[in-house]
Amino acid sequence: MSESTFMGVDREKIDWCPTIDYSKCNDCMDCVEFCPHQVFEVREDQTPKLIVKNPNNCVVFCRACSKTCGLDALSFPDKTETTKKIKATRKAEKAKKEAGE
Amino acid sequence: MKCLLPCNGLDKCAGLVSGQAAVELSQQDDFELICPVLLNQNKSPYEKILAQGDLVVIDGCNTRCASKLAQSLDLKIKDKYNVSDVAKSMDLKLGKDLAVNETTKAVQKALVEKLTQTEDKKEASTFEMTTIDYDSFMEGKFVFKVPKQGFFFNENDCWVYVSGNSARIGVSDYVQQNLSDILYYDPPEIDDEIEQFDDCGSIESGKAVFEIIAPVSGRVTAVNEALQDSPEWINESPYERGWLVEIALTDEVTEDLEILHDGSSYFEYLKKKVAQDV
Repeated sequence: MSESTFMGVDREKIDWCPTIDYSKCNDCMDCVEFCPHQVFEVREDQTPKLIVKNPNNCVVFCRACSKTCGLDALSFPDKTETTKKIKATRKAEKAKKEAGE
Repeated sequence: MKCLLPCNGLDKCAGLVSGQAAVELSQQDDFELICPVLLNQNKSPYEKILAQGDLVVIDGCNTRCASKLAQSLDLKIKDKYNVSDVAKSMDLKLGKDLAVNETTKAVQKALVEKLTQTEDKKEASTFEMTTIDYDSFMEGKFVFKVPKQGFFFNENDCWVYVSGNSARIGVSDYVQQNLSDILYYDPPEIDDEIEQFDDCGSIESGKAVFEIIAPVSGRVTAVNEALQDSPEWINESPYERGWLVEIALTDEVTEDLEILHDGSSYFEYLKKKVAQDV
């Protein structure tokens, strides 16, 4: 199961999950085997066979699956940008909460 | 003496570069070459040099065949390199073509230079931590310890302990339990400037590579050199002897700490996380 928040921000508001480069992926499924969060799904007899099924299950800032990929077929968003967005969302939500009280 | 174990992967450009770099280095007195194919078949021809020298692994790509081979034979890795990472750091792309070209030559040269660099003697750390009081809980056969005070955590299970203008960073008990036996610590470079949530090195077990996600921003001033010989300290003592990095803090430290968990909050967070894992 995914965490519903990350550092106090709704997980759904954070854009963080792997993107598969199908020109590189050879369907070895090392990433699927590694990821304990069911981010990927293997669809037998379909093309593409591997998809990102549950992006919000992906642990924000974790890129461990890409470290198992010998073909470098998995990429992630820019960390600095993601951090900035998380901090901005936190600030906005805090201000909203304070205004509401 | 260094014993070089390249992956020597024949069907990938990066694998070929690993082999070629190792062969080039083996012409020098200080290096001995280990063939991964023969080692996999029979360790005995290499036992003598492995007893005398430090094992240096050169993986071609993230499949890490050479590292995994060393781990499967219980060989202690002293240092390791990854050809694809070296190429990336140079903004070069190793293509599918297996022939030697300008790019492979440049990456090979950079790799050889890295391996022949003499290490600067680092100054010993003077960082002091007070006696740590722990809270703990049990899940199945595992006991999870969390320091009660002085530590802050991000939700990537990395901690920071602040002392004046500097801080120590490490991983929580949860990380070490999950990875099980940690076999290698890849530290960041001294003087690296790190933003909050940037990577600051990685640790590796037979299971996976775990990137250390910096809980605060700062400049790397020291790394735990002792972990090169004793990476198991991260398992045995993740909050004390198994610390990873020391940094000089920036002015944003207060803002950085605001979004982290303190000990008691992380303890509750971790309980939920572990319960979900079961």
